[in-house]
Amino acid sequence: MAEKSLGQKLLGTWNTKTIVAVAIGAALFGVLMVYGGIPVTTNTNLTTAMIIPVVVGAFFGPLPALVAAGVGNVIADLIGGWGMWFDWSIGNGIAAFFVGLLPVYGAYVTEGVFNWKHALIYALCVIVGNGLAFGVVTPIFTTIFYGGDLNVTFIQAIAGSISNIAVELIVGIPLMFILAARSKSRTNLKEEE
Amino acid sequence: MNNRFVINYTPGPTFLHQLSGFTKVFLFIVMTVAIIATYDVRILWPLCIISIAEIVSMKPNWKPIIFMFLFTFFTVTIIGNIMLFVVSPDAGLNNVGTETILWASASGRFYISKEWLWYIYVVWVKRTASFASVMAFALMTTPSEFASGLNKCGLPYKVCTIISLAYRTIPDIANDFVDIRNSMMMRGVELGKKAPVGKRLKNHVTLLVPLIMSSFGKVGNIANAMDLRGYGKNKKRTWYAEHEPTKYDKIVRGITIALGIATIVYILWARIIDPWPAKIWAPFVDKSAIQQVSLEESFFLFRWLKGLFNK
Repeated sequence: MAEKSLGQKLLGTWNTKTIVAVAIGAALFGVLMVYGGIPVTTNTNLTTAMIIPVVVGAFFGPLPALVAAGVGNVIADLIGGWGMWFDWSIGNGIAAFFVGLLPVYGAYVTEGVFNWKHALIYALCVIVGNGLAFGVVTPIFTTIFYGGDLNVTFIQAIAGSISNIAVELIVGIPLMFILAARSKSRTNLKEEE
Repeated sequence: MNNRFVINYTPGPTFLHQLSGFTKVFLFIVMTVAIIATYDVRILWPLCIISIAEIVSMKPNWKPIIFMFLFTFFTVTIIGNIMLFVVSPDAGLNNVGTETILWASASGRFYISKEWLWYIYVVWVKRTASFASVMAFALMTTPSEFASGLNKCGLPYKVCTIISLAYRTIPDIANDFVDIRNSMMMRGVELGKKAPVGKRLKNHVTLLVPLIMSSFGKVGNIANAMDLRGYGKNKKRTWYAEHEPTKYDKIVRGITIALGIATIVYILWARIIDPWPAKIWAPFVDKSAIQQVSLEESFFLFRWLKGLFNK
């Protein structure tokens, strides 16, 4: 595979396959957010949905992960019917961007490349991304959009990021190894000359 | 599970359902902006009542709506306000600008002021209005109309396809999810309240892997089918769901434009021409008595950092 430039890696390739995958990712994100969660505090769930951006990011790159999480959150708001929380959608999108950086630092999970070094960078990205998204971005938008109290929002954001980080690390890393192993067993075939 | 969905996949019979996608999306965007822009109950109540009237006019199935409303009321309002009481009893002072204490604990750490109660009332009205407008939009719009309306608002059509396709796959995913969950439960995987949280999370994960595999397994098929039909060849795209605006569409668009202009005028008036010194307007507060609270003093993290630096 030809080496792509950094910009291309960040944007991902937007062909029909990516669009369909992002759509399915968004739908999965929405369904899991509504039905696959364990409530922690208000507005935040210990939700398995946060795995979806990891998978989309691993397959297609960070920007598709961002779109999948953002659209997915809007869909979750619509089917869950708890009102539109654009602040959390934006926050989730930004967290998903960081989480989905996998191909940028060379973890090509689709080609079976994922080792402990990648897992370490992944863990860092997860922590930084969630911290930035829910510690800074979401509280700012909450106060601008909904007039939520900054103190309460911040506590919710901390609870949300900790549960997201926990899910993305405890579930995400083993899942990446499983996916990489699966892909490896399928990609070691070589075309004969 | 399916009876808890409020999304329609086929347009319903009432007046609002018959409008074109663009009209619905436009109305929803203006309503959302108007609700986000203000903290004034004199504006929020009419917006809330318009949305509730929209919902009533569509004669929906009330059961899931009431369930969702009560669920939201319980989680966001009750628990949120208990947290608010513990964390920032000074929210009234920060947002309304004055403080009239009604009750205080012996230590003075916890107290309830008239302004605090007014603050939670205003936020509740704002959230209810937001809830009602989202619900009205979800009830009146089919996914294809949503996508076509957004496209007409200027969003690239590939993004719109993502939205309509995501909606389209939700019932499939939900069915798969239920199938997988049932088969897991038959094998003795406990997903209910009986298992402790850690165990439950682990069991939810065992559910997740087959769900992700089966869902993303479909990507190739769907993408090939779309490519074969020439998807993405041209810069523009027409929508099956979008129809020519009818007489009623024009009337509703006119009302929406008026609402939009009113919102812009209100924002200009309330923020620039005659600004109210505090964030939230209250009928019992005198304008001259309002004190400004800076962000450093109201936000515990900044207070704590400041204390750290002053040492």
